[in-house]
Parts: sequence; C-alpha cells; structure tokens
Amino acid sequence: MMATASPDSLLEVRGLSKAFGGVRATNDINLSLRSGELRCIIGPNGAGKSTLFKLLMGMIMPDSGTVVFEGKDVTRAQPHRRARMGIGIKLQNMGAYPNLTVRHNMLVPLHHERAGQDPDLQIRQLLQPLRLDGKSDRLVSSLAHGERQWLAIGMALAMRPRLLLLDEPTAGMDPEETHATCELIRSLNAEGMTVLVTEHDMAFVRQLQSRITVMHFGAVLAEGSLVDIEQHAEVRRIYLGHGTPRRLLQPRGARDLRSSAENG
Amino acid sequence: MDYSHKVTMIRLRRHASRVRMALSGQQELGRSAGFWFAFAVVVVGCFAAPMFLSRWQLLNFSNFLINGFLALSLCLIWGFCGILSLGQGAFMGLAGYAYGVAGINLMEQNGNTDLALVIGLITPVLLAAVLGSIMFYARVQGVYVAILTLLVTLLFETFLNQTAGEGWFVGKAHLGGNNGLGRFAADIREPPSLALGFGDSVMEFGGRSYAFFYMTMSLLLVTYLGLRWLVNSRFGSVLVAIREDADRTQAFGHDVRLIQLLVFCLSALIAGLSGILYVSWGNFITPDVFGVYNNILPVIWVAFGGRKSLTASLGGTMFLVWLSQALAIQSDYAFIVLGVILIAVMMLLPEGAISEIADLIDRWSRRSARVVE
Repeated sequence: MMATASPDSLLEVRGLSKAFGGVRATNDINLSLRSGELRCIIGPNGAGKSTLFKLLMGMIMPDSGTVVFEGKDVTRAQPHRRARMGIGIKLQNMGAYPNLTVRHNMLVPLHHERAGQDPDLQIRQLLQPLRLDGKSDRLVSSLAHGERQWLAIGMALAMRPRLLLLDEPTAGMDPEETHATCELIRSLNAEGMTVLVTEHDMAFVRQLQSRITVMHFGAVLAEGSLVDIEQHAEVRRIYLGHGTPRRLLQPRGARDLRSSAENG
Repeated sequence: MDYSHKVTMIRLRRHASRVRMALSGQQELGRSAGFWFAFAVVVVGCFAAPMFLSRWQLLNFSNFLINGFLALSLCLIWGFCGILSLGQGAFMGLAGYAYGVAGINLMEQNGNTDLALVIGLITPVLLAAVLGSIMFYARVQGVYVAILTLLVTLLFETFLNQTAGEGWFVGKAHLGGNNGLGRFAADIREPPSLALGFGDSVMEFGGRSYAFFYMTMSLLLVTYLGLRWLVNSRFGSVLVAIREDADRTQAFGHDVRLIQLLVFCLSALIAGLSGILYVSWGNFITPDVFGVYNNILPVIWVAFGGRKSLTASLGGTMFLVWLSQALAIQSDYAFIVLGVILIAVMMLLPEGAISEIADLIDRWSRRSARVVE
C-alpha cells in the first residue's frame, strides 16, 4: 500500500503526528527502517522519542499519519496485536513488574509459546546472556537497577520480536553496564534483529556505530551517520549552542542536552 | 514384579507432586506440606460437621459457606485482576431472582430445577458480559468501575423494590416488591430448593437438609481448588501482571480487555452460584441482596483476610461472618467492637490480617531454617 516502501522495508512511518492539548508531542514524523537495520534516535528530553515509541506500539493513537509494519498498516492496531505481529518494546519507565519475581516476569511474555515447551528451560536460556542466571526467584524490586533494565530487555526478547524498540535501555547504568548493553544490542542486530533504540549517552551512541535520527521538538531534524550528524549545522546549533562538536561526544545526561538546547 | 511396583509408586508420587505444584504455585498462600495437612484437617472437619452441630448451627454454617462464594468471586476480580467491583451483589441477586422465577414456573412441570439452575447461572454472566464489554472496551478504570458497578446494582434494587403491584408477575412468579420472592401470602409461590436430576431420580437439596450442606461444601471446595489452579497457571501469572500494570501487559501481546472481561464473567458466575444456593437455602430472596450493605460487606471480608489470596479471603470471610454473628448475640453494641477490629486491621495490616500473618510465619520459618544451616 506504500508506494515509496522499499521491498526490504520493515517499518514505514509517514506523517505521524500527536498533540496533547496544545503541545505537539510528535509532528509529521517520517521514519523508514530496513529489515536488519540498527537505528539510534537521539534528542533532548521532550523531543518526542517516548511518544514516538508509544505511537509505534499503539499505546497511544496518532492524530494523523500511518505506521506500516512488514507491509501491513497497523496505525489503528491495538498494542497486543502489534506485539503478536513481532514488535517488542522496552519503555523507559515501564520495565519489569517490580512486585513480581524474575521468573514470573519472564512468564508474562512467554505466555504465547506453544504448550509442551518447558518455560523454565526457556527462561534460563533467555536470562543467561543477561547475567540474571540463578536470580529466577528474586523479587524484581530487590534487583540492582542495571539488572532490572536487563530483565526488561529479556522480557522484550522473550516475545522473539522482529522489531525491537528500546527506549533508553542504559538509563541509570554505570559505564561498564552501558558498554555491555551496547554489545548485547549489537550482537542481537548481528543475528538479524531490527533494533530501534533511543539514547542520551553519546559514548553509547558512538559505540553502537548505527545510523542516527535526531529528533527535536517532536520532529525529525536530521538523519545520517555519526559523522554526518556531528557536522550537521542545525544539530550543532541546537545541541551545542556555540560549543564544539566534542561536547556531543561526551557521555552527558539529558539535562545537559536540554539546557544547552534551551540556552542555544 | 518388584521393579514395576516401584515404577508405579514413583509415577503416582510424581502425579501427586504435579497436582500439588499446580495448586501451590507463586500466587497463593500455603505451599508447604504443613499447609496441605492443615487444609485436609479443616476439610474433613467441615464434612464431619453434621455429626457435632445442631440443625440450627448447620443451617447457619451453610449460610457462611454461601457467603464464601461471594468472597471468592470478589477476590478473583479484585485481588487478582485489580478491578474493584462493588456490584457482586448484583450478580448474586440476579442469579437468585432468575433461578427463583424460573424455578417457580418450571418446577411443577419439569419435576426438577435443572433448567432453572442453568438460567440462574447464565443470567449474571450475561449481565457481566454486557457491563464488562462496555466498561473494559471503553477503558473505564479504577474507581469508575466501582461506581458503575454500584450504580447498576442499586438500579436493580430500586427497580425490584417497586414491583409490589399486581402487574409484576413473571408467569406464576410474583416479584413482590421489597418482600421479594417468597411465600409472603398463601396464594404466592415460593422459589424452590434445588432439585437436580432427570425423571424419577431427582435429588432435592432443601436448605435444612444434610444434602444441601454437603453439596454447598463440595461446591465451595471445588471452586476454591479450581480458582487456586487458575491463578497458579500461566494464565494466572498474566492476571497478576494485569493487576500490576495493564498497559505493560498488553505490550507483551495479551488482550487485556478480553482477559478482564472473561475474568469478570467468571467472577459473576461464582457470585451467581452464591445467589442460587442462597435461594435454595432459604426459599426466598429480597431486593436487599442488591443493596449497598450486601455489596460493601464482601469488600470488607476480602480486605480483612487479604485480597491477593483466595485462602486469606475465604478464611477472613468465615471468621468475620462468624464474629459479627457471635458479637451480635452478645450485645446490641457489638458492631462497635467489630468496627474497631476492622479499622485496626486495615490500618495495621493493610495487606489483610491472614496474608500478613502468613507472611510473618513464612519469614520466621525461613530465618530459622537459615539458622539451622
């Protein structure tokens, strides 16, 4: 139905807009992901990254625009339908269930697996690369912050998605955990999974070596490689004010980006 | 020979442990062998109750058990699905009225209440299906569900209260206004007790009979164990996930609205069973069953015991129903004592008295196990 879609296109977003009250959270977003692509969305807080993810998952409905996944228009589809079609998500403030055990958390996405398969075996296989092996019976609220984030990624992976949406997967992680998370995402991508990830941490973005989309005030500002982005005049003006490109490369938090955007 | 015997034993033991695993699971209190032993003692004690209780006490105990269904139905929808329904009395009452009206009309003709029972069970489920579809698909949540369900039950109460006139006959059954269904005049028929079977082999379950007590006790046991199995199944883990966070659960591919609707209907079915048993027990039902009192009471029972556990909800209900009755016999001001107990439990043990005590025992036994190590 999308005349512009290339044959190996997995996700086609056209003119996606959503306003809350008078605020345009996303404004005419166009985004295209090839199958097997790794893409990073950067942008200051309030740029509309989380809203875009919720729109992609169907957790909120757009005012206008279309979302096409694997050639099917899913703009009006409910979240559970999209999940079953192969979109997995880890939202920023919506990771694992804190009051439940790790095992119970993993059972929720595994529910659709065929009967006869031992869920505990699957859980062990999924948890092992996430360093959560042997913590099956722990309450999530008793886990370290990084472990909770990894569990949330594990839960998204348990759905065996073809498109994985990760909203700030490294928020609150230390540099070592951030590095390991990046390696995990790269290895998932190397195995053929399409991943769309939002991030603040520029060290992470550099390590990821992916194509980058820059969002600002709910709209796509620029798209390209890290080098392209760093040389993009508008991005430099908004992000860095009159600063040097080096600041973009520093592992700084969102507040720095936003305040420099507001100042600039 | 000896070998095959051993294999059979191992198989049996494996089956037994599998059954225990299916019933125990993460979602319920009481996973230890000690719990199941105590459970067996209580069940055997209850089934033996007719041997040491008077007729009146047994009649009273049957009524306690009928309340147990209402508590389980609320525990399922509120404790496990996170939906506070203040309209469980509507399902109970509607089932009671539907069974009663159908029973009055069909008993003589059929010689049994089989069809009336089916009608009584289907009616509340239909109401739940319609009400649930409207609520869950329109994303009505939280306190609005409570208000809406209470509103519906009060509508039924208001409607039935004004059916005293001559015009309010459904076949041979007179709806009877605030007197309800029952023999309040010589020419009015009362709803029959359950009489199940075909042709000549019909078994009657009059409210005063042992048969009624045994049937109610067995049904409660089956309902409790069945719900235990349900909440400990993988479906149950999804239910709890919905209670914790519905949006998140939907993103894992679960049709939350449909699941909520199904559980709401199941909850209505169990509350409906309570209503049918109630009519069968006393051969009457009044619009009071739809009133505020009958809808708030289960919430207090379940909150008192612990809403996140079937065992705690059921135990709390039995204890509170017994206590309020025992106190009422003692003094006119007993309700003040009861009120103080309820407020103290809500404030000091917010997860419910039985749940919190069980949690304490669990932690204590784990700590002593660690000391032994």
